[in-house]
Amino acid sequence: MESVTQEHPSTPVSIHSEPVPDSSPAPPPKTGWLMEWFTHWSIERRVLAGFGLVFACIVVISVISYRNTAVLIENSLLDTKSHELLQLLDSIGEALGAAESGHRRYLVTGDESYLTSYRTVVERMPEYLRYLRGLTNEGVEQRDRVETLERLIARQLGAEADAITQREKLGYEGVRHLALSGAAKNELEGIHGLMTELDSAEQRAIHARVTQSAGSTNNTVALLGLGALLQLVLLGSVYFLIHHDVTERRRVAAELQSRGELLEASNKELEAFSYSVSHDLRAPLRHIDGYAALLSKVAGETLNDKARRYLQTISDSAKQMGQLIDDLLVFSRMGRQDMLRTTVNLDQLVKTVLHDLRLDLQGRTISWTMHPLPNVSGDPAMLRQVFINLISNALKFTATRPETKIEIGAVMRNSVEAEVFVRDNGVGFDMQYVDKLFGVFQRLHRNDEFEGTGIGLANVRRIIHRHGGRTWAKGALDQGATFYFSLPLARSLR
Amino acid sequence: MTTVKPILLAEDNPRDAELALAAMEEHHIADKVVVCHDGAEVLDYLYCRGVFASRQQGNPVVVFLDLKMPKVDGLEVLKTIKNDVNLKPIPVVMLTSSREERDLAQSYALGANAYVVKPVEFHQFITAVKELGVFWGVINEPPPEGSDPNE
Repeated sequence: MESVTQEHPSTPVSIHSEPVPDSSPAPPPKTGWLMEWFTHWSIERRVLAGFGLVFACIVVISVISYRNTAVLIENSLLDTKSHELLQLLDSIGEALGAAESGHRRYLVTGDESYLTSYRTVVERMPEYLRYLRGLTNEGVEQRDRVETLERLIARQLGAEADAITQREKLGYEGVRHLALSGAAKNELEGIHGLMTELDSAEQRAIHARVTQSAGSTNNTVALLGLGALLQLVLLGSVYFLIHHDVTERRRVAAELQSRGELLEASNKELEAFSYSVSHDLRAPLRHIDGYAALLSKVAGETLNDKARRYLQTISDSAKQMGQLIDDLLVFSRMGRQDMLRTTVNLDQLVKTVLHDLRLDLQGRTISWTMHPLPNVSGDPAMLRQVFINLISNALKFTATRPETKIEIGAVMRNSVEAEVFVRDNGVGFDMQYVDKLFGVFQRLHRNDEFEGTGIGLANVRRIIHRHGGRTWAKGALDQGATFYFSLPLARSLR
Repeated sequence: MTTVKPILLAEDNPRDAELALAAMEEHHIADKVVVCHDGAEVLDYLYCRGVFASRQQGNPVVVFLDLKMPKVDGLEVLKTIKNDVNLKPIPVVMLTSSREERDLAQSYALGANAYVVKPVEFHQFITAVKELGVFWGVINEPPPEGSDPNE
């Protein structure tokens, strides 16, 4: 029979083992490989990836929208300038026209008041032209046109100034031809032509920009729409994945709960079982032993030695089974009993254990070596059982020695736990069987050599494991044995 | 002590009862023992009804009570005894196979005067029953009949 406390490496530990893709012989269907790859990600990675994608989309769409909007703003600024330019051209044309007609009237009449417009134009023209240059920062062609325009205007104004000087010197007759045709007829025509060119070029630029703006607006709207759609899809998938995972987790939690309930039920059953064992199984044993004793009392005189030995064997077997049941019950109780966690003074504990074992110590020559033991954290009743088992063991396997030596001590390897040991000079054991020592019903000696049920050390291991410690042993045949166990130190000692 | 007050042994298992009687015989107190085979019979005895309607009045000197019995179990009998003003003074010794902590705790909580686990080994069993019988049936001074300190 295998030990209850030992692990079984051969039994599959995980019930929910995920199929490993490398080991599956059939390749996964082509359409699902992406999904399969994706489902191998943890939920955190999936959510992170989903949100990363959404974020990247938002960034790309934002950058493109920003650039489109910047173009729109720039175009609208340029449009404002273009409209100002057109207005300015109108104003310049108007002013020049007014100046020219006033100038001609002056040439005819000699009335200086007709020169007001002309003088205003002469005075304002540099400012107008500077303004005009400022508005034609776009395109070399327009700038060239403006320069030509400047020259023509200068020439026109110059010609008109000459005409005024001649009028003053020579009177009307001297400038009559000029008055009829205009002082700067050619220049004025050139100026009008140039202004028309400027005008139409600017109109074309405006038109081009309108087209561009409309295009980029459409582009932006489409992109934003696409982005929104994409984000919806991604958010939807992320939601789906989270939902899927949460559902899975809920399912697992529900399963765990139902398993927990099952476990609790089976624990209760086990408790009922061991209760029944403790009560009902002992009764027949008591009867066997009792009636065997009564029989030997009633008929003892008439029985021969052989018959008396048989009766004795019946009694002994019943007693042994009673002991076995008691030990098993203790073992079972140690496994399910609620554990206390208090500070346990091991020195004190060992003293009381030795007091309890005083009947076993009678008639024995024992040299005790007791080293100071630390305070540990644990259940006093359970730890008492550990020392009872280990010391009884030491006493049992040293019974054949003329002088029994038992040493109890502790080693502190770190600040968290203590290693306690119980050493004897008994019959020891072969280290090749060391793994069997702590198993239930595992015995290294025949019953006629040393009595025992094979539960004591299993119980030690169970108790120490419940305390979060380890058990191990060292020994050699005929050279004694040392049993070790580790226990968490009491908090005050850490 | 020449009291004729009986020892009441509640034991459903006839073999256990026989063994217990055999043990008490050694100290010549077996003739004082009345054996009941289930909880209902114990209550019948205590309340002088049923087959015990015509018995001599008076409480037993001690009740040895098994836990697991048919009809009415030991704990229920214990509860009835300890909740009855007239029966309450009777010493009740739980005599059972169970070493379960739960049984111990419940028995003492209900007012049991002692709790003894029947040893498997006959000699230990005999010693235990003998000592119990002698202590409760002979050494221990029982409460005065019909006494109630509250009256």
